[in-house]
Amino acid sequence: MMHAALESFCADPVKFLAPWFVLLPAFVLLLSAAAAVVMRNLIHAALCLTLSFIALGVVFIALGAEFVGLVQLLVYVGAVAMVIVFAILLTRPEQLEKSRSVFSGIGPAGGAAIAFGLLATLLGFIFASPLAKKPLPAPAVAPVANIGEALMGNHVVALIVIGVLLTAALVGAAVIAMEDQP
Amino acid sequence: MTLQILLAISAVLFALGLAAVLSRSNAIMILIGIELMLGAANLNFISFWRFSDHPSDLTGLLFVIFSIAVAAAEAAVGLAIIILVYRNLRTVEADDANQLKG
Repeated sequence: MMHAALESFCADPVKFLAPWFVLLPAFVLLLSAAAAVVMRNLIHAALCLTLSFIALGVVFIALGAEFVGLVQLLVYVGAVAMVIVFAILLTRPEQLEKSRSVFSGIGPAGGAAIAFGLLATLLGFIFASPLAKKPLPAPAVAPVANIGEALMGNHVVALIVIGVLLTAALVGAAVIAMEDQP
Repeated sequence: MTLQILLAISAVLFALGLAAVLSRSNAIMILIGIELMLGAANLNFISFWRFSDHPSDLTGLLFVIFSIAVAAAEAAVGLAIIILVYRNLRTVEADDANQLKG
């Protein structure tokens, strides 16, 4: 068994290791996401979330979606994570209430039970589905030029709408957070 | 590697985000849970695109690009609301923000 694995590794190392380029960052992704969910300290949770964003971007790149992976890194790690850290710093409680629970009324057990029920249902359907047993097709290529053409061609209306939405949302966010309303 | 593994990873990520939204009391932690669930949905789109018969259609990729843009807008508005709630009520606990008066 070991010998066969070693032989296939020597024959084509890239092909042998290809699944691990996806599975290894996916493992980091799940581990850091779980850490972000259970961390008591908000800053630690935000840093674990940032690590999970990076791992998700690496998974995208390993799956062949290089452009989307880089957009994920730029937008989530560069912007969203930073905005979350800023919000944590701006809303620091004046006196740290150590005794207060970090959990809401439903409690950790209730939330975990509902999430686990959903997970069991999803996994049941995923592993029962014949579609999911499909083997990996040949590596897909998505050149950035084609993505740009699709964005400016068939999906140009969606692109304009998303631009209007982003502008409205960001102006709205600035107005909501403004110090004294005129 | 099959599609099953990627879908299972995405399902676990979604369940983690749901657990954070349901059981954490801090509003910022609820937002972190929402971001995790959005990431799980994006991973699903990329996986189905990777395993599709016509990857050159780019449908999954384009959906993820729009989804990331919407998620960025959602994070900005959500955090602005959290900052406003903190300024008025001096708290970021979702359970304590229980009045409609501005």
